[in-house]
Amino acid sequence: MNLLGLDVLRELITWTPFLLTGFSLNILIASLAMVIGTGLGWGLALLRLSSRPRRVKLSLLLTEFTRNVPTIVFQFYLVFMLPSEFVLPGTSITLGFPSWLNASLALAMAVIGFTSDNLTATLRDWRKGDHAAALLFLPNWTSYMLIIVIASSTASIIGVSELVSRCNTVINATGNTGLMLPVYLYACVCFFLFCYPLTRLMQWTRAYLAARLGPASHRLGKASR
Amino acid sequence: MTHWHSWMRKACAQMLVLFAILWLYVGGSFASQMEAPRGSERLTLVKQRGSLIVGVKTDYPPFGFLDASGVSEGFEHDLAQDIARRLGVSLTKVAVSGANRLQKLEEGSIDVLLATTGDTADRRKIVTMIEPNYYASGVTLFMRPEQNISDWSETRGKKVCATQGSYFNRIMAQRYLLELQMFNNARDAKLAVKDRRCIGYLFDNTAIQGDLRLPEWAGYKAPLAPVLNTPWAIAIARREGGSEFERLLGDVVADWHRSGFAIQREKVWGLPPSTFLADTHALWKKPDANGARLCEREISGQWPSVCRNPVLLSSTDTTGLRRLGLWFKENTGLDLSLIYDEYDRTRFLLGLGTTFLLMLLCVSGSLLLGVLGALLAEAKLRVVSRLIWMASIVGRMTPPLLAMYVLLFGLGSMLIAAYGISVSPFAVVVWCLCYYTGSSIMTALLFAADVKRQSNPVFQLRWGNMRELIAMSSGHVTAALVNVSKATMMASAVAVPELLSVATTIMTDNGNVGVMMNVLLLTFMLLIFATVRVLKVLERKLLGVTK
Repeated sequence: MNLLGLDVLRELITWTPFLLTGFSLNILIASLAMVIGTGLGWGLALLRLSSRPRRVKLSLLLTEFTRNVPTIVFQFYLVFMLPSEFVLPGTSITLGFPSWLNASLALAMAVIGFTSDNLTATLRDWRKGDHAAALLFLPNWTSYMLIIVIASSTASIIGVSELVSRCNTVINATGNTGLMLPVYLYACVCFFLFCYPLTRLMQWTRAYLAARLGPASHRLGKASR
Repeated sequence: MTHWHSWMRKACAQMLVLFAILWLYVGGSFASQMEAPRGSERLTLVKQRGSLIVGVKTDYPPFGFLDASGVSEGFEHDLAQDIARRLGVSLTKVAVSGANRLQKLEEGSIDVLLATTGDTADRRKIVTMIEPNYYASGVTLFMRPEQNISDWSETRGKKVCATQGSYFNRIMAQRYLLELQMFNNARDAKLAVKDRRCIGYLFDNTAIQGDLRLPEWAGYKAPLAPVLNTPWAIAIARREGGSEFERLLGDVVADWHRSGFAIQREKVWGLPPSTFLADTHALWKKPDANGARLCEREISGQWPSVCRNPVLLSSTDTTGLRRLGLWFKENTGLDLSLIYDEYDRTRFLLGLGTTFLLMLLCVSGSLLLGVLGALLAEAKLRVVSRLIWMASIVGRMTPPLLAMYVLLFGLGSMLIAAYGISVSPFAVVVWCLCYYTGSSIMTALLFAADVKRQSNPVFQLRWGNMRELIAMSSGHVTAALVNVSKATMMASAVAVPELLSVATTIMTDNGNVGVMMNVLLLTFMLLIFATVRVLKVLERKLLGVTK
């Protein structure tokens, strides 16, 4: 048993660079989704605060749309409906459209909805001069990013070579079914080690900001994916 | 010889009498309604000659090949032998190649072609294809012995070896998201599989069956169900279309399916059970509403369209909804098979039902788990409360998909090995999604309880004040429940036949990518929209929350 344990450990160490490169792709997918989603969500939030009711209505409609799009299906939609490579207009340069980018775009849809909802309140606080309350957006945003990092594992379903997908590759490549549980648990630990410290940090930040604001202004971060 | 002739004459006369009696007895109406086929020059020639000349393959094991002593044999050779036996003539086999087979038929040097010929619309313009089809080939993966892939969905994004020029390469890359590595010939591609440069070699499953028989590839396998199936047909000369000969051969093939002869020969030659033969056997034995056989020739002499290969039907061959659907497809290019095709429609509705059930179970289960977890965590039961609290942290930080793999493949394979208990993927999906979402709901409830404690330090979460706390954190709870109903699609990763996996299967079977993707997205958006509405109503009615 002990020998078996050592063997498994040795295999895991051998595959660590491969697996961790996969995990960095998870973080890349999630980060890009956050950047795109926050940018577009910001735009929607600004529209929602507009004085023209039509713009507000349009923004609410778009926000509702992004909330209703299921990311996993949308990811499939993009993979099958967008060309996997395209020619840059006016040139003969062919650009590849990798599938991880599709995963990012699909996840960005969820981030748009989140940002639109949360940033509207934040911008309102900021304009009122309540800067400390507005700062609460930061821990909420980071917590949401962790949700997106977790969600990025679904990119494996469309064949993106991220951590979960690489776990399956390792199991297939070694042909060792005894490695199944250890490899999957290894991946679980990766996610945990990334998410837990950040969650604690954000809890602390939130508590710190709340202490400065007084007990009444606790705001429950609304997470919608 | 004269003895033989007189015997034959007698036998013929007896047969005539028998037929006359049958005709009078079973009902002349039936016989007079069925159009008699026109006579066949070829059939007359065969009978005069006393032998049937069949074009067969001798380089395609196990369908047609030469054994160690140079004698040709194989699956198709058995079928040819059976036709000759039924005609009461001897069999003459002529080896043909893929390049010259149709030509040989046209120039009349063979009577019948039975040589792995795919039944396509283009070939139907040159020769007469006998219906029903007798076999079908598709595309599969030739894999190393230790490969652990059992479903096409597991090949997405993986490197797959292929040979240049195969018609299916592009389609497979697009529909199954394969990353193809091209080779000049099959030999190099198979060696690349051996060297682990790709997960498998993409090729015709019948050719792969031949390879797997070689000692060199002992232990290698092709477990994936063949896709992009092309039916195989017996062919006769074009001018023989609508003749007695065509009718007779069609009846013979129909009998192979009904009697199970084709399946029996398949077994004899060590071919893996083909879904095509199994399905066709079931269909051709099926009774219709009146208890008669469903697949019986119509008045026109044609088989009913339900018994014909749907791939080869056009709108003029069918009636009703299918006709409308095919007409629409022919004119717009949009294949709405999930509406007009009964099989696709049933699959789609079953997928919809499964997804609906998953959503219902996951939403209610998550809420239940979240509430129970929060109650236990607040109950001040030292060990239990602490454990629950830790479990919720782990739950929130483990991707549900990964949790599914851990339970299903990690622990599931152990359970099977140790106790023979197999875990249901459906139950695993429901549990993992409920655990993930329940943890997040529990955290929100406990957070709300903390907020309460700021004004009332002795506040404790109990069943009695649960409603108030859910109302306080209703924004978070609703969002989590909407999320879990979206996340049910993860079930497709562990082969639960929910809407997403059903839709991708229909799409890969029919190639109607655009239609299926739009239908899928629209259906899910409607489902999520409905979920949001229902949750809002429940929030208002049960919790009195208004926004």
